[in-house]
Amino acid sequence: MVEFSPEVIDTIITAAALLGAGFAMIAGIGPGIGQGYAAGKAVESVARQPEARGNIITTMLLGQAVAESTGIYSLVIAIVLIFTIAA
Amino acid sequence: MMDPGPKVVTYLFGNQSLPVTDTLIWAWVVCVVLIIIAWAATKNMKEVPTGLQNGAELFVTAILDQIEPMIPGHGRRLLPFIGTIFAFIGLSNLVGFIPVVQNPTSDLNTTLGLGLVVFLISHYEGIKENGPLGYLKGFAEPVFILFPLNVVSELAKPISHSFRLFGNMVGGGIIITLIYQAAPWVMPVPLHAWFDLFVGAVQALIFGMIAIAYIAVARDG
Repeated sequence: MVEFSPEVIDTIITAAALLGAGFAMIAGIGPGIGQGYAAGKAVESVARQPEARGNIITTMLLGQAVAESTGIYSLVIAIVLIFTIAA
Repeated sequence: MMDPGPKVVTYLFGNQSLPVTDTLIWAWVVCVVLIIIAWAATKNMKEVPTGLQNGAELFVTAILDQIEPMIPGHGRRLLPFIGTIFAFIGLSNLVGFIPVVQNPTSDLNTTLGLGLVVFLISHYEGIKENGPLGYLKGFAEPVFILFPLNVVSELAKPISHSFRLFGNMVGGGIIITLIYQAAPWVMPVPLHAWFDLFVGAVQALIFGMIAIAYIAVARDG
């Protein structure tokens, strides 16, 4: 059994929290793909029905906002890790 | 290390109770500005609107057009609530454009408060529309065994609703702060335009639209 001094333990906790924040932001991939897919479909819809442009853009933004939630959760977790646990 | 959270400016009572943060003070400023604008826009209303009254009527009809397709026949009744959400969040997001100002919406206390108000209103509307029994029956859809799962998904709504606005505003604020440390000249200007003006306006629209959607879903039972 190896005994660590408190400074070393603090350093390990900070390092692990910062690493965890980086890993948490991998979740940014999901919203990126999802929002891009929604935007692509919206472009197709506008090309097919240009007169419904306003409605399509509002619906697209609403769907993208919901798709964004998971990315925002990971961002909040990363912020908590960096500014409360690592600090 | 920088600290992105709200800063405690003063205490409401002397003995370190009820802290007043800078975001709270800016929220009060936004409230006062909105009250003054509303008072000035409706001071002497005319048949043919001019100036500020024109803008106010445009705002009111734009919000009525958003509510009516989702909750038919109740647009005028819900207009004060939804309109206030739109106006308060919109102005709160846009004031971050002024350098010293801290967005009231970059504080979880503000957004969670707004999310909980929307949550309570939507469930009040659900009970009023369907009756207490019909409201409870809505949780047992499609089979009774899913009751706890539906309750959890209802409780997740205000959290996702408020964290979405909070995460967007605080994330933009952190990126702008980092850019201010790295390149304080010229570079922050387009970022301010993007994060404060565009994202702020879109997030205000989305918060209001999702509030309408939650109320509409709760009314359907």
